[in-house]
Amino acid sequence: MRFDEVVLAIMKAVDGQRTVSSPYHLIKGKKSGQTIQDIGYFGLHPYFAVLPKLDKQEYLASIDRLQAQGYLIPDDTSVQLHRSAFDLEIPPTLLNGWKYRGNENRFFARLSLVVQTMSNFMQGQKRFDPVVTDETVQAWAKAYLKRVDFRSSAVQETFKNQLETSLAMAKTTETHKDILVERLSGYGVGGLTWDQLAMQHGVLPIDVKIAAVEAMHAWLDVLEGMEYPLLAGMLEGIIQQSALTESAKRTQNLSERGFSLKQIAELRQLKTSTIEDHFVEMAMNDPAFSSAPFMDEQLFQSIHHISKELKTMRLRDIKERLPEASYFQIRLALAMRGGVT
Amino acid sequence: MNLEKLLYEAYGYTDFRPGQKQVIEQVLAGRDVLALLPTGMGKSLCYQLPGKVLPGAIVIVSPLLSLMQDQVTQLKKMGEKSVIAINSFMKPEDRERAWNTLGNYKFIFVAPEMLVQPYVLGKLKSLGISLLVADEAHCISQWGFDFRPDYLRIAEVLPKLGNPQTLALTATATDKVTDEIKRYLKLSDPFVYSHPMDRKNISYDIRKFDNDSDKLEELLNLVSTYAGPGIIYAGTRRKSQELAERILALGIRAAFYHGGMEQQDRIFVQQQFANKELEWVCATNAFGMGVHIPDIRHVIHFQLPSSIEGYVQEVGRAGRDSLPSLATLLYAAGDERLVESLIMDDLPERHEIELIYERGEEAKQLIEQGMMRETAYRIISYWRERLPLEGTLNQIEQLKKEKQRQAASVRGLVHSSGCIRQYISMSFDQENPAIPPNCCSFHGIDHSLFKGSRSEPKASPQGSWKERLKVLLPI
Repeated sequence: MRFDEVVLAIMKAVDGQRTVSSPYHLIKGKKSGQTIQDIGYFGLHPYFAVLPKLDKQEYLASIDRLQAQGYLIPDDTSVQLHRSAFDLEIPPTLLNGWKYRGNENRFFARLSLVVQTMSNFMQGQKRFDPVVTDETVQAWAKAYLKRVDFRSSAVQETFKNQLETSLAMAKTTETHKDILVERLSGYGVGGLTWDQLAMQHGVLPIDVKIAAVEAMHAWLDVLEGMEYPLLAGMLEGIIQQSALTESAKRTQNLSERGFSLKQIAELRQLKTSTIEDHFVEMAMNDPAFSSAPFMDEQLFQSIHHISKELKTMRLRDIKERLPEASYFQIRLALAMRGGVT
Repeated sequence: MNLEKLLYEAYGYTDFRPGQKQVIEQVLAGRDVLALLPTGMGKSLCYQLPGKVLPGAIVIVSPLLSLMQDQVTQLKKMGEKSVIAINSFMKPEDRERAWNTLGNYKFIFVAPEMLVQPYVLGKLKSLGISLLVADEAHCISQWGFDFRPDYLRIAEVLPKLGNPQTLALTATATDKVTDEIKRYLKLSDPFVYSHPMDRKNISYDIRKFDNDSDKLEELLNLVSTYAGPGIIYAGTRRKSQELAERILALGIRAAFYHGGMEQQDRIFVQQQFANKELEWVCATNAFGMGVHIPDIRHVIHFQLPSSIEGYVQEVGRAGRDSLPSLATLLYAAGDERLVESLIMDDLPERHEIELIYERGEEAKQLIEQGMMRETAYRIISYWRERLPLEGTLNQIEQLKKEKQRQAASVRGLVHSSGCIRQYISMSFDQENPAIPPNCCSFHGIDHSLFKGSRSEPKASPQGSWKERLKVLLPI
């Protein structure tokens, strides 16, 4: 999937309802209530936080291309796609951003150091410049290497076999795998820069970045199966146990202990609106979430009815027809539909 | 004390490099030392080895984050485990941990802006410092090409640390800069070691052209016929990218390197270069630090450097193995205009100075809005605490004059009709060096020395990911 296709896929979902910069925040993984909520509304889970370091200029360049190709109509207030954009087939994505949230990069940094170390030791080189400078990652890799007894050639062989077999199992293209492995370094071999990879594969640098993320997500799905213990050992802290953000999790805990929304806001010294965001997040992620404490069944049904009738997710449009509903109630009700659009 | 024995036991080397022993002897004798050692001459050993003997901590103040990281990496690579770097980019929890365990470390790297914080000072004071090292000490001088106002803060904290014994290290300094270092660091009767700036194994070549396209053609000719590995200093990020593309198109392995690239990519280019997977790196002046390659054969300047000091530092990356190496400066008519405008762009302007004086800390927001440059803000907010507006305007005016002097001195390098080596030495107030064979384009260079021996760089593994894995993990 090319970067422009990622942007288009998001735009198709939010067409007419969100600003042109909303895909940018989503791709970067902004943890605001609005972004998190949109993921549920529009079913955008795959794209959340796939490029946490995305540069605004790079994003704007993509917007320029989409406009030049006629898919996107320039508009100050919201995304306005041309019909041709809807006719364009976008291949199903391999991305799983909501699950990994940029943590795949931590996994890959660990892997890079471990592969580099094994590569050097296998070839008799015990001193080398580490390819990852982050001290936390270095400390992690050091402990890991010691734990698995990496100097043993049996371990080295098993490691290599597990690496190769598990990556072969990943449900992604060979080109994706090539790109990912070209980012690894070893004895006498340096990883390739994004620009070098882009040139080699005849695409834009941002496209190879997306490809590497796709490859990692597909690979992590395999590794999670725990059939490759040496590599699964690198997943420590990488996969989010709960789909909720840290802060929402704390709100959830308090809610489960019986505190009301207002009480939680006071206890946590946070704005009510922030706690509301947390409840929306919980509504999106928890199939068993109940709206009963916040609105009666009739209001819940009306919100959904109007949203369907007007074919909109815009809060303001719904509020106009249902002035008795608060924005929070509307958001909550829509979130509970859970992106089944 | 037998220093050779100590050196061998600590690091497995049998010999000192020129200057190291003299400097270390004086440090161990308890004297303040100012050492001028060219890059690549093993400056860090001058505090590493004393660290093996002195009872307290060695605190190294280092002006550049990247430099600090590189030194920590190098120290660790030599097997030194008791090293830590503290800077403002650390995560708060890491810094917290660092402070609590500081007593366990022998070598403590600190960024100058951290030094002034009372908490930091207190911590350092309680440690017992055996030696304070000011690395890249020329940054303390506002007459230097690399002035960093934060660095002046070292001078302010010295008394608070009980005026510890000090070692000032630098690779480049004129007499004027040396005087300032001594004064600001309050070096009392220091031992000064000054290694001759001159690098005999480097031949200096300057080639002039009427226009840019001829200059570019000459560059492409050079990379096709002369041996690498080499660095091409391009002046701007965009130019480094452009040149790399042109060279790649010739089928010669090259890559670009500049500060706008993400850190991982920068490390990749350094490693590819060190592995000989690349023959040429087209770079801005961001390239160099952290590059420890002894056999760089050729440094080409495609753009005029902004000072002689910077030029010598960049050229000095060639031939650290003492074998013949070439430094080529390519000049096209009018090149100095670009450099001069770049230099002046760096200086804070009157309206920026006034804004910062008016708004103080708030002016920081103007950086984000693109109305002020960060370097300008840094320099001015330093002076704001110390001088009235008029004084600062005056300071900046002086600085401008100095920059113009430096630019003139670079112009002189290109246009003077004489020995290039002597011109450079003269700029550093050093004595006229002897003229070695292949001295420079004025005295004549036998170019066959550098031509033809072009070695094919090692091919990077090609093909599928499985094949690359086999190369990475050959088992």
